[in-house]
Amino acid sequence: MNTQAQDSRRYIRLALTAIIVVVAILVLLNLPITLLQSSIRLATPYVLGSMAAIVASRAGVLNLAIEGMMLVGSFIAVAVLYRTGLDPLAGALAATVAGGILGMVFAILYLRIRINLIILALAVNLFISNATVYFMRTQFDAFGTLADPSIRALPTLTLPIIDQIPFIGQLLSGHNAVVYLSWIMVVVVWVILFRTQFGRHLRAVGENKAAAESVGINITRIQVFALTFSGMLAGLAGSFLSIGVLSQFVDNMTDGRGWTAITVSLFAFEQPIAAFFTALFFGLSEALSFYLQARPELALPPDLLLALPQIATIAALVIVALRIRAGELLKRREFAAQFGRELSKLRQGQIAGD
Amino acid sequence: MSNAIELQHIRKYFASSQVLACDDVSLSVESGEVHAIVGENGAGKTTLMSILYGLLTPDEGQILIKDSPVRITHPNDAIRNGIGMVHQHFKLVPSFTIAQNIMLGIEPNRAGFINVNSEAEQVRNLAESFGLPVNPDLPVREISVGMQQRVEILKILQRNAQILILDEPTAVLTPQEVREFLTVVRRLAGTGRTILFITHKLAEVKAIADRVTTMRRGRNVGTHFAKDQTIRDMANLMVGRVVTLTVEKGPAHPGETVLQAENLLVAGADGIPAVFGASLDVRAGEILGVAGVSGNGQTELVEAIVGMRPVDGGTIRYLGQNITHALVRERREAGLAHIPEDRLTTGLNLTTNLDENVVVTSYQHKPYSQQGIFSFAPIRALAQEIIDKFAIKSARVGEPIKTLSGGNLQKIVLGRELKGDPKLIIANQPTRGLDVGSIEFVHKTLIEARDKGAAVLLVSVELDEILALSDRIAVMFAGKVLAVLDAKEATEEKLGLLMAGSLELHEANAERAHV
Amino acid sequence: MKALRQTLDSISIPIIAILLGLAASSIFVALANVSPIETYQKLFCEGFGPRGCQNFGDLLFFQVSNGDGGTSTVFSPLYGEGGSRIALLLEQATPLILTALSAAVAFQAGMFSIGMDGQFVMGAITAAFLGYWVPDQIYLLVGVTDPEAAPIILKTIMHGVVPLICLGAAMLVGAIYSWIPGYIKVKLNVNELISTIIFNAIAVQLITYLVNFPMRADFNNIARTRRIDDTAWLIPFNRGIFQDVEWFSGARVGVGLIIALIAAGLVWFYLRRTTAGYEQRMTRGTSLFARFGGIPTGRAVLRAMLISGALSGLAGAIAILGVERRVVDGFATGGTGFDGVLVAILAKESIVGILLVAPFFAGLNLGATNLQFGDLPRQLGGIIISFIILFNAMEDFIRQRLRALLRGRYWTRKSSATSGESTAV
Repeated sequence: MNTQAQDSRRYIRLALTAIIVVVAILVLLNLPITLLQSSIRLATPYVLGSMAAIVASRAGVLNLAIEGMMLVGSFIAVAVLYRTGLDPLAGALAATVAGGILGMVFAILYLRIRINLIILALAVNLFISNATVYFMRTQFDAFGTLADPSIRALPTLTLPIIDQIPFIGQLLSGHNAVVYLSWIMVVVVWVILFRTQFGRHLRAVGENKAAAESVGINITRIQVFALTFSGMLAGLAGSFLSIGVLSQFVDNMTDGRGWTAITVSLFAFEQPIAAFFTALFFGLSEALSFYLQARPELALPPDLLLALPQIATIAALVIVALRIRAGELLKRREFAAQFGRELSKLRQGQIAGD
Repeated sequence: MSNAIELQHIRKYFASSQVLACDDVSLSVESGEVHAIVGENGAGKTTLMSILYGLLTPDEGQILIKDSPVRITHPNDAIRNGIGMVHQHFKLVPSFTIAQNIMLGIEPNRAGFINVNSEAEQVRNLAESFGLPVNPDLPVREISVGMQQRVEILKILQRNAQILILDEPTAVLTPQEVREFLTVVRRLAGTGRTILFITHKLAEVKAIADRVTTMRRGRNVGTHFAKDQTIRDMANLMVGRVVTLTVEKGPAHPGETVLQAENLLVAGADGIPAVFGASLDVRAGEILGVAGVSGNGQTELVEAIVGMRPVDGGTIRYLGQNITHALVRERREAGLAHIPEDRLTTGLNLTTNLDENVVVTSYQHKPYSQQGIFSFAPIRALAQEIIDKFAIKSARVGEPIKTLSGGNLQKIVLGRELKGDPKLIIANQPTRGLDVGSIEFVHKTLIEARDKGAAVLLVSVELDEILALSDRIAVMFAGKVLAVLDAKEATEEKLGLLMAGSLELHEANAERAHV
Repeated sequence: MKALRQTLDSISIPIIAILLGLAASSIFVALANVSPIETYQKLFCEGFGPRGCQNFGDLLFFQVSNGDGGTSTVFSPLYGEGGSRIALLLEQATPLILTALSAAVAFQAGMFSIGMDGQFVMGAITAAFLGYWVPDQIYLLVGVTDPEAAPIILKTIMHGVVPLICLGAAMLVGAIYSWIPGYIKVKLNVNELISTIIFNAIAVQLITYLVNFPMRADFNNIARTRRIDDTAWLIPFNRGIFQDVEWFSGARVGVGLIIALIAAGLVWFYLRRTTAGYEQRMTRGTSLFARFGGIPTGRAVLRAMLISGALSGLAGAIAILGVERRVVDGFATGGTGFDGVLVAILAKESIVGILLVAPFFAGLNLGATNLQFGDLPRQLGGIIISFIILFNAMEDFIRQRLRALLRGRYWTRKSSATSGESTAV
């Protein structure tokens, strides 16, 4: 009965999106390509981190330990490479496994021993930030920074064909394996969530536990799997920070990116594809802060620029909240209008009846 | 005919609430029959069915399916044994489509990847074979309640259920939907399936059931052929006494209109309309009972009147003043009292002590506080006064209340709310979960308040309670007040029809009034 | 008798948690090829013991050599030769008490705000700035060109007024910085945990910027602000009233501690004796109850956030006015505010608990920091604390296991408990 209103609203929304996209493209085209390229690269931890957040919260658990899981990944990647001298990819793999193990432990402590989620998350994050530095010193004799020639960064890859395309090639080619892996993971997470049986069950658990339980789905098992997978994604994200951008581990190198990743997922309403683009925006804000810092002639305060992603995060949180609020209001108004129509119909009926 | 199910000596005791929900219940159901289980709220019907479906494990007793004993400790066991259950509160995933909900847990897949086409196809075939057409691609949150129920039924049929447990299936349906539903049940029984039908609507039992088992206070008080029983017989069995609750009360002396709600429009959770144009008025010195099957907007109506839920349309007047958008505190200071539906989370704060609970509505006033600082002596005196006046045996001033019984907790709520002779009392399910003694006490207290001149709005799903206490009775259905009857004219049958949403009676009355 | 049992009951879990935490952390000590017993001995000696403390026994009684070559036994906490470590511990516990109170106030309004860090540094920078700016203005106003030569009467008055201005302003800034996440929570339901974490990060960047640029005092290697004027200084005991008491000599514990204790008393009074405190406590947990009773819940929460922020801002100001006297680059990442959150969690938000846990926490940190001059990094302290928090949060689990253990039915109980869980609806 109100499809017309819905349709027109959809058109308005489409038009608005189109305008924003066009403006964004115009703005982006005016930015130096190196900036765009580093945005794409720096978005990687947000891409993977937000996938970690999405997988967990779609299963009904807010993974507030992503920060710690990322940090574990950063550390393990470097530690393994330092010890073994293996290929950097082995470091990324080790980081993924370590994140997964932490995710599983987190799941068991939360789901089986039933520790308060927030306290658990604070304790896990605190533990990781201390334990990484502790091991850095006791096992590697490093203070503040763990670096060594034996720790190699992930090599950059040149994409065939795409590389040849002007602009696009510059933009998309020449990143390292984890960057490409993160794009693949967006698709993988999407496919898992929306095309596989496991993902279907995961979403059912997150949305209505009772429904899932009544058809015999093992809720705990799904949530443990989800948190483990979430931890793996976060661990991989962490490895990017230590062996993707640099080739060293620095005390507390995630620096709040885990929390930002959670915000990305909230902003994208837990949609993997939307989260990917949101993460790109956060990558841009981070790249921008580095870019402007490297321009002393602009005389912009560097530390304030470093706060740019954080300010963007707060803005994102508020925008999400406003959107939710607006949605509720709209629903209310719709329902009041529907009632108005019904009431007038009733009145007409009464008049006719009289 | 062989027995499809046999329950033997089932016993279930809930330690946490100290309720013996099933007390040595035995029951046998034949294949292909429609077997109704009737009983009042809390008679143990749902507990029994939850045991059969593996949601609860019985303390004693055993279950036989086709004459062989089975162990059912999990819904999966039940499903394996061909038992399916449609719960009173549907267990559907709102964002999933109909097909996705029906196939949840049994998705056709290859190596974990769902075959979407085959899924939709299977659902379409299933729906056709049972003559229950659905559009598999519609998200469940966009379909009507009746359709949701159909999805639930298809869900268990897809799992090849031979025994269908339907828990209060018609409680949420419109009359048209009920009619349609009953034919579906008949059809399913015709295919050789066994239907267990939990309800307390006796007319439906008469219309559809082959046999009927009546439960009362956790016991099976008899299984009969439905055709041999009149509705009255069943009702008497259900309540176990020919005389229903009577409360001594004199005639009402209604005064001025205290509360007047007009065309109220209130959204429930998720912005879905819950109250849809309800109007009613309560006068001083009378009790207006609001009857209705639960979930028809009563809770939201009450919350809107007391100010805990925003009103989207219409007006609420209190003694002629518009309070539609007033704060809870403003309403309370004007003399509104509220006995909420859920005393454990709304009416009381179980994490704190008695004193802090009794003072929540008056702490900002002298003598309980001055310039924002508490004076504890008057608060303790207030707590003691409530303890004494309402004979709350185990409560002590300054002590935690979380260990008190439901009856005592409700007395604390009553004591606090009735202090200072409120002009308007909103009582929502004031006796839910209480023992007989406490129920009588609550009833007496409400009548006393009425006789002192308070306007009382009593919302209850217990018809007995409504009939016993009310001077006038409003019936809510689908967010509207369908009719307001004088208590003298109201009978259980009349109310039952109205509660089921039947407008005929309402219209008939209107006609009579015209003539 | 009942009170005794209740007390025993309430402290049994924290003590078990501490023991389990130490036990779990000992694995990490052992991984570094160091003896856990020796490490813990050192940790506690360096954290809680007198100078020269060697083993656990020395924590209580200590042999000191007399002038004449003999030894005598002293009660360790009172022993102050070379400055007591207890005094040092109190110095470090002072901001912890305040930030923990701040966290407790927020938690007891149902707000899981962990923005104490940001509010703390915002308060600190405010006090550091006003600590020299306000005296500057006063001197300018009364026409004193050389502060050294200012009349004593002026100095005395300023000694009374300037710290108050600094403390007040820091509280205000802290309160505002806490109010924003509170406001977007109440009005828009923005998750306060995430928003306060981000607010902390923003504060850190802001302070780093201020210290490195506009407020940088000199060309010292590590950027730092100007030192606060002497009149803004909260003079520590060892320079003031107790300058002859050796016990205080090594620590900058001072008026700040007294302020913190008074604040603890006031917070207790606020939470337990005022209607405002009642409103915020009732809003927590079952906020339905508060709304039902007509309590203005939004206002109660925002008030709690203001008070919480003011306390953290006060902590930051005291850290500057009483101890640091200037903000040095890196101060912002010290994590005092976050430690306060942990203290509040460990104390289960009880005011008395905070007064007990904060010194313990400070001692543990102190001991761990001193460890790093030996074999192990100070992060061992953080590891121990995170384990203690975990075990403390397992209260129900531990109680259940303990009860089973006492009944001697550990194994049978375990199996039935797990099967019961899976079937529960």
